[in-house]
Amino acid sequence: MEFALEARQLKKEYQDKLALKGLNLQIKPGEIFCLLGQNGAGKSTTINLFLGFITPTSGAAYINGLEVADHLLKVKEYLAYIPENVMLYPNLTGLENLALFSSLAGFEYDKEQLLFYLIEAGLPAEAASRKVGTYSKGMRQKVGIAIAVAKHAKVLLLDEPTSGLDPKASNEFSDLLLKLSSQGTAIFMATHDIFRAKEVGTRVGIMREGELVDVLGTAALDANELEKLYLNYMHN
Amino acid sequence: MKKFWILIKYEWLNFRADKGLLILVTLTLLAGLYGIYYGTTEVERQRQNLAGLQKLTEHNVEEMKAKYPAGADAGDIGYYHSTFAVHHPDSWAALALGQRDVNPYYIKLRLLNLQSQLYDTENINPQKVLAGNFDLSFVLVYLFPLLIIGLCFNILSVEKEQGTLPLLLSQPISLPLIVGAKLTFRMLVVLSLGLLLSIIAMLWGNVVPDGRVALWLGVVVLYCLFWFAVAFLVAGLQKNSAFNAVTLLGVWLLLTIVVPALLNVYVSIKQPVPQALALTIKQREVVHGGWDKPKEETMEKFFALYPQWQDTAQIKERFVWRWYYAFHHLGDVAVADLASQYKQSLLNRHELVQRLNVLSVPVNVQGIFNALAGTDLPSYVQFLQSATRYHDALRAFYYPFLFRQITFHHADFEQEPKHHFASSPDVASATAGVVKLFISVLVVFGAGLLLYRWKVASVK
Repeated sequence: MEFALEARQLKKEYQDKLALKGLNLQIKPGEIFCLLGQNGAGKSTTINLFLGFITPTSGAAYINGLEVADHLLKVKEYLAYIPENVMLYPNLTGLENLALFSSLAGFEYDKEQLLFYLIEAGLPAEAASRKVGTYSKGMRQKVGIAIAVAKHAKVLLLDEPTSGLDPKASNEFSDLLLKLSSQGTAIFMATHDIFRAKEVGTRVGIMREGELVDVLGTAALDANELEKLYLNYMHN
Repeated sequence: MKKFWILIKYEWLNFRADKGLLILVTLTLLAGLYGIYYGTTEVERQRQNLAGLQKLTEHNVEEMKAKYPAGADAGDIGYYHSTFAVHHPDSWAALALGQRDVNPYYIKLRLLNLQSQLYDTENINPQKVLAGNFDLSFVLVYLFPLLIIGLCFNILSVEKEQGTLPLLLSQPISLPLIVGAKLTFRMLVVLSLGLLLSIIAMLWGNVVPDGRVALWLGVVVLYCLFWFAVAFLVAGLQKNSAFNAVTLLGVWLLLTIVVPALLNVYVSIKQPVPQALALTIKQREVVHGGWDKPKEETMEKFFALYPQWQDTAQIKERFVWRWYYAFHHLGDVAVADLASQYKQSLLNRHELVQRLNVLSVPVNVQGIFNALAGTDLPSYVQFLQSATRYHDALRAFYYPFLFRQITFHHADFEQEPKHHFASSPDVASATAGVVKLFISVLVVFGAGLLLYRWKVASVK
């Protein structure tokens, strides 16, 4: 079976520090994989390797069966990325930002279609024609989602996307992820939010010091059990 | 290619919304227009002065006619009558004034010794030299790089600092494409401005539309490309905006101020130019010594140079003009080697600067502009040589009157030689400069490309 996202013995070393110690991981289309771990555990390094922002010391990352290092531009057609803080061009409107990133991904939309994607992502219609410089963080995250949806991304990489969002905005964000996953998008989310991971994740991975120490299915766990397990790993 | 144009389109939207950039471009446009106004006004002022000289000469002739109603001794005319050697500006001079303001563009001449008259006007206003010319070439050579730096110092770093680079690089586009599109957009803005100002200056200055139009515009394009290549190279280091700004301003300072200053010191030491003042003093000593020397000795020396006047009457009087002009003439002969050395060392110095200007692209480009406009040092030296030939012609005209003791009549003024000298462009020198400029662009741009190949795109 072809995985939407796969890591094979993926290793990254920074000078004398091993940031990622031979990660092996497969994520299927439609699956939401949440990666928990402390700061510096290797979560962002993993995402950056899948994005091709850094090159692996050894091993390989694959998106849709294509090795990232060898098909950098091609794999970016399949993936979308939402960082902790989606930063857009402040002098452009939400519509213009979405039009820019969609057209760079190869999708040209008219204004109505662009507005549809923004509204679908939860952005109020009146905000779409405003300059992004006036947006809150939550609104920018929604434009980030709209960019991913408009791009028809097969893989969505999220790096602590709900950090700093208020509970309502976080909840709306989770709903959007579940909707995307139901449409077949594979989602890989690095997060500190155990509750959110349990709520949206199909599986949860726990990473410690560059190593994926456990992978758990969320169906059989409640949030408290997951938190207990996570803290056990962190303390040991 | 389509994505390249998409990026350019959104660069335009961002540029339009950035008031700081719009102000910067507007200020450069205004500076350019002022430079054109300054250059054309200065050249027009020089043209009016030169036209005034013609009237001065005519007025002087009328005075001579009134003073000597029945004709005169040519010696009196040679002494009291003055005419001018004039250096007419090329129509391109308004675009690059070069040395036209520091070197005299006309020389008042009488039949006396030449050398002291040539350098009579060498003293210039040091305040003016300090301020320099604010012509179009100044705007293009010194201010345009600052515009390019202002537009490009954060070309990539701003994407990192405002956090848009990760989102941008998560799209199927490469870093060189992003930087290339941003640079191309800025190039379009800067080149449009540079070419627009150049064309306005050409129309305003009524330049002769010859091959220099293409050369000038080509130099403007290449020079801007050079600074864009520098910005491209610095952006490739992937440092923050403050680092880029300081580095680019450092390069600007180095190439426009430090290197030219060092070159000036080196050239002054390596190729010293004797002061024209020393030449003038020596000549004055010889000329003044002529009063005390026996007339026979003076005339023998003169006749050795001009045997055609050997049969003229022997001098018995205490003073005659032909003796007076003979020792003035010998004064010029005595410093002929010095005068020749002076001109040659000026040209040698220029030659040395031409060889060393590869170290500073702005110096090279300023040299190209001056060569195209005929306002460079060789042009001035050619004018001096032309003035010397004119003085020789005046001597050849007046000597028969003096030595054959023929009365100088009013009608003879009509036969007096007239001087005309107009700068001509040094296209060969300008072309050599263009080749060097082209190589500079290739080298810096090539270094930038290598850097992008070698350095992995970093989003942090």
